[in-house]
Amino acid sequence: MSEQTEQNAQVEQSAPQILTFCTNDNAILEVERDVAERSVLIRHLLEDLPASGQAIPLQMVNEAVMKKVIEWCRHHQKDPPSTGDDDDSRRKTTDIEEWDQKFMQVDQEMLFEIILAANFLDIKGLLDVGCKTVANMIKGKSPEEIRKTFNIQNDFTPEEEDQIRRENEWAEDR
Amino acid sequence: MTDNAELESFRRQWREEVARRTRPSRPEPAQPRPSRSSAGPSSHFPPARHEALDRKEEEEDEDEGGAPSANHGEIIHGVGHLSLGPSDEDAFHSRAPRNEPKSALEHFERAVEKEAEGNLGDSLQLYRKAYRLDSAVDKTYRDKHFAWAWKKPAQAPAPSAGASVTGQQPTDEPTILPTPELIASFAHLPISPAEPIIENTPPPPCPIANVPSEVLAEILSHVALIDPASFCRMALVCKRLAYHFAHEQRIWKRLCQGSEFGFKAMQYSFACDIHGLPEYTLGPRYTPFPQSMPVQVPEPLSSWGEVFQMFPRIRFTGIYISTVNYTRPGASSAYQNVSWNSPIHIVTYYRYLRFYPDGTVIYLLSTVEPLVVVPYISRENIKAARATSQKQHHRQAADANSASSDTVPPVAMGALKHAHRGRWRLAKPTPESDSSDEVPPSHPLSEYDSLPAKAQTTAAPDPRDLIIETEGVGPKYMYLLQLSLRSVSTSKPTNPNMTPSNPSKNTKLVWKGYWSYNKLTDDWAEFGLKNDRAFVFRRVRGWGMP
Repeated sequence: MSEQTEQNAQVEQSAPQILTFCTNDNAILEVERDVAERSVLIRHLLEDLPASGQAIPLQMVNEAVMKKVIEWCRHHQKDPPSTGDDDDSRRKTTDIEEWDQKFMQVDQEMLFEIILAANFLDIKGLLDVGCKTVANMIKGKSPEEIRKTFNIQNDFTPEEEDQIRRENEWAEDR
Repeated sequence: MTDNAELESFRRQWREEVARRTRPSRPEPAQPRPSRSSAGPSSHFPPARHEALDRKEEEEDEDEGGAPSANHGEIIHGVGHLSLGPSDEDAFHSRAPRNEPKSALEHFERAVEKEAEGNLGDSLQLYRKAYRLDSAVDKTYRDKHFAWAWKKPAQAPAPSAGASVTGQQPTDEPTILPTPELIASFAHLPISPAEPIIENTPPPPCPIANVPSEVLAEILSHVALIDPASFCRMALVCKRLAYHFAHEQRIWKRLCQGSEFGFKAMQYSFACDIHGLPEYTLGPRYTPFPQSMPVQVPEPLSSWGEVFQMFPRIRFTGIYISTVNYTRPGASSAYQNVSWNSPIHIVTYYRYLRFYPDGTVIYLLSTVEPLVVVPYISRENIKAARATSQKQHHRQAADANSASSDTVPPVAMGALKHAHRGRWRLAKPTPESDSSDEVPPSHPLSEYDSLPAKAQTTAAPDPRDLIIETEGVGPKYMYLLQLSLRSVSTSKPTNPNMTPSNPSKNTKLVWKGYWSYNKLTDDWAEFGLKNDRAFVFRRVRGWGMP
């Protein structure tokens, strides 16, 4: 807890610039600029636009999702920025840190909305955590179980399914 | 061991009958593969196609695969492959107990499984029960499992393992697109949401259907890095995912370049000494597809998916097992010509190889069955096993290592005491261009100067060759194993319309040589490989998977 109050004190000291966002369901959210700049999209937007004090419209995101995204950005405010698109280090750790795991304990619709929002806002870290969470839901499951998990319809004919199965048999690595 | 004589007699009868029936008058339809046989744990074991007496099958170990006949060994081989299910479970962890066999056929099937495991005592009991229940059970069994073997004896002389998997395909198949075209046609299809369970109710939510391709690729890439087999299963979920599986070059390239399953973890020079202590080199280690520079798909191959599939690669997610069965005649009376009553000892033993990405390897020769010992083959347990054995020798009261060995059954622990530590490396896939002064640029054995010339001049360097050095029986010995990666023999499909099955590549290790080196006298001795069989890879749950 002490860490958090320290953080708050620091934030207050530097008198953070507050940005306002307008989500697609017309909710107004206020976020510190440092937090919002975890999003590459917003960072670039702010570089291009002079600070006008007007609410920034976010067409793709609703309030509930945006609140989750802000929560994540606030927690990861101090993370070092990702270095490049294909850096190996972030990929290597397939496990998810504990806070993020808890954070991602949401229903599947919310999970995918967070992923879509992270993709739209270009927040690499959050997109990664979301995709890893989905990947963990997939691992070790049979195709039928995966379909059940995500409510996907099997659109193969039995012949096609058999053909694909044979083609990919090698990857089973028995 | 008198049981074995009887078992032999059963086998002989059976083999004769099979031979007689390779040209039947009336082809029988293949019945669907029983689900039980694919669920049973034992069917995942290395098939005992190496029948003790059928020495002539040696050539089957070559990937060219000669012309297998429908003999007994081949059939057992087929049984072993009947279990090509999509499950990634391994056979080394116990599961829910199976139902007891009831019908004669079930007894017979179980007996075949047991025999494949080398568990001859149980096998014989089951064979006996089966014949008691139905004297013609072997015929029923053949009709059920091997109808394909004599279905088209004229045009398909070599229907083997892979074909049996596809025994239940419909015969009146419509025209089939070649698989790459079929997959390409899936390119722009959406992921279709499941139908509602009850009519006229809203369908269950399917948020994954709204995810754009680039995010889908991102998710798939994470799946692939956790477990390529899971990635593969995604291809069977729906058409859209099948397309991504086949066409996401970025994921395949990442898999190839990575150290999780890819070639970054392959060692092309020894990375440690045979006890596992790392050896440091000044120069960078060779890797075929470095991440720091642009890399090309190597010549004959056309995609990164193919590279991952075809390029020689050692797997760390399981164990390589070589099952050896051989017979040894027991003491028999010289006056008895017919050998019904002379004991024949059937000996089964296993060689195990577990590789680690850091260049170390564990080599274990044991009579202990895979189910018992495989889950415990690890460097930590070997260390513990050695520590406890020393403790017993010296009667010391050190108990520091006892914690980890608590969970290991004593049988496994006993076997692990005799495991050898070692190191491994692959032959470099391409000889370096600047080292033209060396005559065979990267002959796998060229560094062993004192090795007898006979072994040296075998053939041109083969990129599939694998060199393993292990500890010997005492400190003055070192064992040298030369193995070579091979693929499970592919089979021609029985139905010409069908795409051939595409089994795993490079999951077999065939023997090329085995020597013992005396470090004190600089002597080499060659081990005979009369009974030795290829190693076959099996996945083990929890190894190398998060």
